[in-house]
Amino acid sequence: MDSSADFTDIGTWEPPFIQPHKMGALNKFGQRTVRDNITREVFGVPVSDLVRRYGSPVFVVGEKHLRQNIRRIKTAFQQRYNLAVHGWSYKTNYISAICRILHQEGSLAEVVSKFEYEKARFLGVPGDQIIFNGPNKPKDILRRAIEDGALNQADHMDELKMLEAVAEELDKTVKIGIRINFDTGFTEPWSRFGFNLESGQVNEAINFISRSNHLRLSSLHSHIGTFVLEPRAYAEQVRIMCELMRKLEGVENVAIDTIDVGGGIPSRNALQTIYLPPEQAVPDINEYADAICEALLAGSRYRKEIGKDLPRLIFESGRAVIDDAEVLITSVVGTKRLPDGRRAAILDAGTNLLFTAYWYNHQVKMTRNAAGSEEETVLYGPLCMNIDVVRHSISLPPLAAGDQLVISPVGAYNNTQWLQFIEYRPNVVLAQESGGCSVIRQAEDLGVMMAQDQIPAHLASFDVSGKVRPLNRSGNHPVLNRKLV
Amino acid sequence: MTMAAAELLKELSKDDRLNRIAISDTGFIFDPQTGQSFTLNRTGLVTLSILKRGSSIDETAEQLSHQYGITEETAVNSVEAFLLQLGRYL
Ligand SMILES: Cc1ncc(COP(=O)(O)O)c(C=O)c1O
Repeated sequence: MDSSADFTDIGTWEPPFIQPHKMGALNKFGQRTVRDNITREVFGVPVSDLVRRYGSPVFVVGEKHLRQNIRRIKTAFQQRYNLAVHGWSYKTNYISAICRILHQEGSLAEVVSKFEYEKARFLGVPGDQIIFNGPNKPKDILRRAIEDGALNQADHMDELKMLEAVAEELDKTVKIGIRINFDTGFTEPWSRFGFNLESGQVNEAINFISRSNHLRLSSLHSHIGTFVLEPRAYAEQVRIMCELMRKLEGVENVAIDTIDVGGGIPSRNALQTIYLPPEQAVPDINEYADAICEALLAGSRYRKEIGKDLPRLIFESGRAVIDDAEVLITSVVGTKRLPDGRRAAILDAGTNLLFTAYWYNHQVKMTRNAAGSEEETVLYGPLCMNIDVVRHSISLPPLAAGDQLVISPVGAYNNTQWLQFIEYRPNVVLAQESGGCSVIRQAEDLGVMMAQDQIPAHLASFDVSGKVRPLNRSGNHPVLNRKLV
Repeated sequence: MTMAAAELLKELSKDDRLNRIAISDTGFIFDPQTGQSFTLNRTGLVTLSILKRGSSIDETAEQLSHQYGITEETAVNSVEAFLLQLGRYL
């Protein structure tokens, strides 16, 4: 019997293969929704155009999307608490154009290092619009921040002492914040940052400030974690902070006018440890705004009774603002079948560019309709390193060299934590709200890579003796046998 | 390898097991015994449908070699590897 009687199209040869379905991976028709998995445009621009103009890989940021995100998030908070302000956490993505967009939208700069502080000032952010957090603030930059009128939030006692010393040198009275940590009962406490509440470190810090001649405590800051999936954690955080604020009423040198709740609100990304898809696992921003603002209104209501203003609320959301406003376009450079039968593809972008692939299962979309059945596929990056895996297991149709894939969401922590390792870092392009595209961070080239290197005199030639050996008969270098430039 | 694959084929052919597996012509298969479902690639679909008719490994390989224009050696190796996969799942 001939099987071609059964099949009009037997396809082209590849080894026969069976792929078990995972629970939940099918739609109600028992078929994977391949078509959902195709995108030919990102932020309104054809993928093929982007690659032609800016190369592959390339990061693309959607300006309109980013502005919509920040507006939606700000509205969620401000309609519930009109003294809410957003601080843009620079480390989440500090490409200059991104920071500018967020400052245009009215966000303060939240910085955590000398570099980030200098960058914010360089971008034109006035000192009094900067929140200076983080555990390492060298004296020179702390001094500048005090002179500029930035809000320094101290992480530890040595920093408080330094603040006091600098304020004394400058003969200034300085408003500061302190970062505190405590157990909300919901998240793993980040007890390495700030002063611990339960163990009495906060009291010590307050005592120090009360005795100070120069410091005035005006802000309480805490950040309870990352990708916090439980809005009630924030309600508890704010309740505890307000309780502390109330306890501090009337304490010498203390007048709290700011409650800074940090960041940590999740983006619509898929944590590797969470089974549910992000649309189901991640609560809406309004639930977080509700939890935070209700707790703040309740916890600071007493202020009205004692005739004081309500505190300003600072929230420092990073990933929830930018993650889904940026994608990475990458190309397949080769495919192979692994010994265990799985398909594999090698991409021109790996964990060097996509640091967050270590903890997220990013969404990967095809840019063409591929024939052939979906199979479990591993996506590798280009590095000579076993852990360079973009996706450990994803169901995809057969890929071919040259295929372009769109990986998302990638806006948070990749353009800052990316590694300068083995490969050049690529262009980052802004798909502008007004139409058109512009490069907002240029691809690296050899010039960029060599700019910081310096070669001491004794390494000026390839000759160990440091002497320049006579050239060989063909006029070439004696060892390399080629012309030196 | 050859032995193991042949053994597996014998196991899978017992009690008409292979024939009770539902296969759609898009490569979607459902095993009523375990409730598990699978996807086959096109060549897997062709191969399984030949095996379902009671063909031996060699007969299956011969047909594949003929239809796809590949060597019989490649075809035999592929059918055996495929049977080992089937054995893992079915
Ligand atoms: C103090 C502080 N604020 C804000 C953020 C931003 O966090 P996310 O991007 O999770 O909102 C962080 C991140 O670690 C942080 O440490």
